[in-house]
Amino acid sequence: MSGAFFDEMYAAGGQCRPHYREFARWLADTPLELLAQRRREADLLFHRAGITFTLYGDEQGTERLIPFDIIPRSIKASEWQVIERGCIQRVQALNMFLADIYHEQRILKAGIIPAEQVLANEGYQVAMRGLGLHRGLYAHIAGVDLVRDGDGSYYVLEDNLRTPSGVSYMLEDRKMMMRLFPELFAAQRIAPIDHYPNLLLDTLRSASPLDNPTVVVLTPGRFNSAYFEHAFLAREMGVELVEGADLFVRDDRVFMRTTCGPQPVDVIYRRLDDAFLDPLTFNPESMLGVPGLIAAYRLGNVVLANAVGTGVADDKSIYPYVGEMIRFYLDEAPILKNVPTWQCRKPAELSHVLANLEHLVVKETQGSGGYGMLVGPASTAAQIEAFRLRLKARPQDYIAQPTLCLSTCPTFVESGIAPRHIDLRPFVLSGSQTRLVPGGLTRVALREGSLVVNSSQGGGTKDTWVVED
Amino acid sequence: MKLSIRHDTTYSYANEVCTSIQFLRLTPQDSERQRVIDWQVDMPRKVRSQLDPYGNVLHVLTLDEPHGEIVLCAHGQVEIDPTREVEPDLQSPLPFLRSSPLTAADEALLAFAAQHCGERRDRAALIELMNALAEHMPYSPGATEVGTTAAESFARQAGVCQDHTHAFLACVRSLGIPARYVSGYLCTEDATHLASHAWAEAWLGEGWYSFDITNRLARPERHLKLAVGLDYLDACPVRGMRRGGGMEHMLAKVQVELMVQVQ
Amino acid sequence: MLSRTAADLYWMSRYLERAENLARMLEVSYSLSLMPQAGRSDGHAELAMSLLAAGTLEDYKARHGALDTEHMLHFFALDEANPGSIYCCLRAARSNAHAVRGRITADMWENINATWLEMRAIAGNGLGRYGISQFCEWVRERSHLFRGATSGTIMRNEAYGFIRLGTFIERADNTLRLLDARYEMFGEESEEVSDKSARGYYQWSALLRALSSFEAFNEIYRNAPNAEQVSEMLLLRAEVPRSLHACIQELDLELSNLPGINGRPAQRLAAGLNARLRYTGIDEILDAGLHAWLIEFIDQVRDLGQAIHDAYLEVV
Repeated sequence: MSGAFFDEMYAAGGQCRPHYREFARWLADTPLELLAQRRREADLLFHRAGITFTLYGDEQGTERLIPFDIIPRSIKASEWQVIERGCIQRVQALNMFLADIYHEQRILKAGIIPAEQVLANEGYQVAMRGLGLHRGLYAHIAGVDLVRDGDGSYYVLEDNLRTPSGVSYMLEDRKMMMRLFPELFAAQRIAPIDHYPNLLLDTLRSASPLDNPTVVVLTPGRFNSAYFEHAFLAREMGVELVEGADLFVRDDRVFMRTTCGPQPVDVIYRRLDDAFLDPLTFNPESMLGVPGLIAAYRLGNVVLANAVGTGVADDKSIYPYVGEMIRFYLDEAPILKNVPTWQCRKPAELSHVLANLEHLVVKETQGSGGYGMLVGPASTAAQIEAFRLRLKARPQDYIAQPTLCLSTCPTFVESGIAPRHIDLRPFVLSGSQTRLVPGGLTRVALREGSLVVNSSQGGGTKDTWVVED
Repeated sequence: MKLSIRHDTTYSYANEVCTSIQFLRLTPQDSERQRVIDWQVDMPRKVRSQLDPYGNVLHVLTLDEPHGEIVLCAHGQVEIDPTREVEPDLQSPLPFLRSSPLTAADEALLAFAAQHCGERRDRAALIELMNALAEHMPYSPGATEVGTTAAESFARQAGVCQDHTHAFLACVRSLGIPARYVSGYLCTEDATHLASHAWAEAWLGEGWYSFDITNRLARPERHLKLAVGLDYLDACPVRGMRRGGGMEHMLAKVQVELMVQVQ
Repeated sequence: MLSRTAADLYWMSRYLERAENLARMLEVSYSLSLMPQAGRSDGHAELAMSLLAAGTLEDYKARHGALDTEHMLHFFALDEANPGSIYCCLRAARSNAHAVRGRITADMWENINATWLEMRAIAGNGLGRYGISQFCEWVRERSHLFRGATSGTIMRNEAYGFIRLGTFIERADNTLRLLDARYEMFGEESEEVSDKSARGYYQWSALLRALSSFEAFNEIYRNAPNAEQVSEMLLLRAEVPRSLHACIQELDLELSNLPGINGRPAQRLAAGLNARLRYTGIDEILDAGLHAWLIEFIDQVRDLGQAIHDAYLEVV
């Protein structure tokens, strides 16, 4: 992997890339004060609309804005088509992998992935063994995290097959851009994305064998960090937003408590982790779930999207095998690259990692949200040594990857316009067909030089454009 | 050995319960070791049985009319073959390598397992471990509760069959051996006294072997298996939740008769 | 609609109405307590009446002992530990609104959220700087604003129905309690308040002002306020918006508009109460004894609230 950063807007010589030309012209004509004013306007609008998130560990439960950057991330359509095909291919293979490991286990028998790594994985749910799902789909909604290395090629950083979030920001960012700068959308053809809620509802309906299933969104509640998104999606789809206490099980069927009495529920878009879904099957302490839900689910009386037990496929210890899965199930070459990964549970790879900590990114196999990871080049010697101890104590819990030179995109910051690192999370919907809306969520690390784009770690978002070449 | 069993359970509540849901794992299944001649579970409402994630027979009983008590009765006749020691399995045992909050091994349990088994991973080593655990944690009813973890009861050096089994599972899994929790009935020496009981099974190469830590038995002669799982929560005979009801009082009675064999 | 959503909407408007009623009560009591007190050394009794009507007098005594103006005002308006304070009512209303943010309009949410933020600022500075009358006026004004935002922006659907139910159950209860508390305080004297003495005039006009009904009374009766006519207007006159009859009429209407059959017990109860008020004369009430009649009706309203709860807000 090369050392220089790839900039989305400007080529190495400093000239603007063709798909950014229209925007660059507009930017040159727009005074900085106007941009600053529009940005303040955006903040105000976001705040008033309550487009906020809550930080974990913040006792006050303070609601914060995710910083919105007014300079869009732009992808040319021909490039997007490759990303789109790559994401579809990947998610199809991952769904086939999930169906396989909960049934015949062909990939394990073929010796492609060590059985113990899958079957003894915390994300592997015994409750799913032998259970037939409509269309054989497990991850109905997936988020594929992509970054670009120095040479501009895309890499998949991780797959999110449990309850990927962020799509509400993708949609709100677009609405905001169209409101603040309508002239930009008149000047060029930018692929629309606002039909996402329709596609999502269609996907959820098609997850059920019924003709006209009742769909609900299940949220952990308003103190959850992504509550805004849960409420947003329910509202946009026109379905009920329920909490665990609104649902109950009677004779192996799921009902919601309504003002007109109990109403049967057929599809639950759950934004609640497996462990909290049913206190009688998983974590008995969970107050957020529905007692008896999994028993009803196993009898096929309700659909959960995503299915239970998808976590085993987006576990970072399984990630290195996704390329093999694509070859095994689809007999195709992977379109998107994987980042080379060292598995610390293997002694030889662990010693390589320990010897090169200052150059590597080390992640927990079960971690997410940018917690519990080490970015070697950005850490102090003391931080690296502290991490070394954790790594040595439980090597099986970690993987390591080279530090990627995440691409940059011009971003409006305090000092003016400056490059900041970004990633991309397209959302892949799997139902009667596998599809995406063009683009996805672009996250940007607002601190200079930072490579961590998570909102919990000071990241912001940008509108993402797919522009006709 | 033919047994006739009757297991009555009554839950009574201080106030009326608005709604309740109970998971009942009170139905034994046929296996190499046990044959169910006839079995029935009586409950307030008719409920269809299903198989739970671990393949146990499960009845999910939901009541939404106000009720002051729940009366359950499991009864039937079963034949046990005490000569069988090992039970094969069509499913992979690997998921039973995982630990759970109740069976997580702390430093003390890890050290205990290493001390008694070293590099050995055979049945003899596990029998030694079983005996050492029984020694370390004398049977002491009332010293622990339902939610006590393996590490806690091990540190208290006390426990009942559930705690013994959890501690054993924590140790055995730390050795890289799949192991699971078993709940069932135990028929004691005179074969007239039967009680709810728990023991462990470990996977040694070709099948599941039993380890009744409390009784230091590696041969399940008088054990009738009801359900298996990662720990007590997965396999316990009755588990439920309710809205309302206040204080709960549970009364259980198990009766067994050894049936006369005509050879 | 989800029962939980309906419950949040219902309680949002109940708490807001309660805050408004508390402010009305406090405002009038405070102004009366400043008046020369015939035979009473200070205005504590007047203020205590507010506590009595709100059912929190015992709590107050347990916490503060003697009646004291400063303590009472704080207890009533800003005390975070008194669940019956205006502060706590507004906090609860805002919390309910937060839970159903997607079900109310942006105007409603912004209004109630701003109210709460301002309430916190006021509590931080204390009433001393604000002045009790100005504070009460502010509470009333915020409540008016919210009702205006609601009526002007929300769809006329189930959500609106539950908001209205909350408002009128609370208001009905309040009107009954206020009338009863004033009657109880002046007990036997109330029989002779029609003597046009200054005291009687102030007592009854204070009650009318607390219920924004002073002008209405003048228009209808063209007479000095007296027990019989004040009671008749506040209980039986459906055209007076804070009267018991007006509230019960609204409850009857809103309940009969709700879909589903599980609300029948509540609907029947409301229709029965409405019919009863419609065909009752004030002389019958006074013959039976005003206090006994009020107490019985407070129970009826509570039963109606329970029936609404059982039918819609917590459905098994």
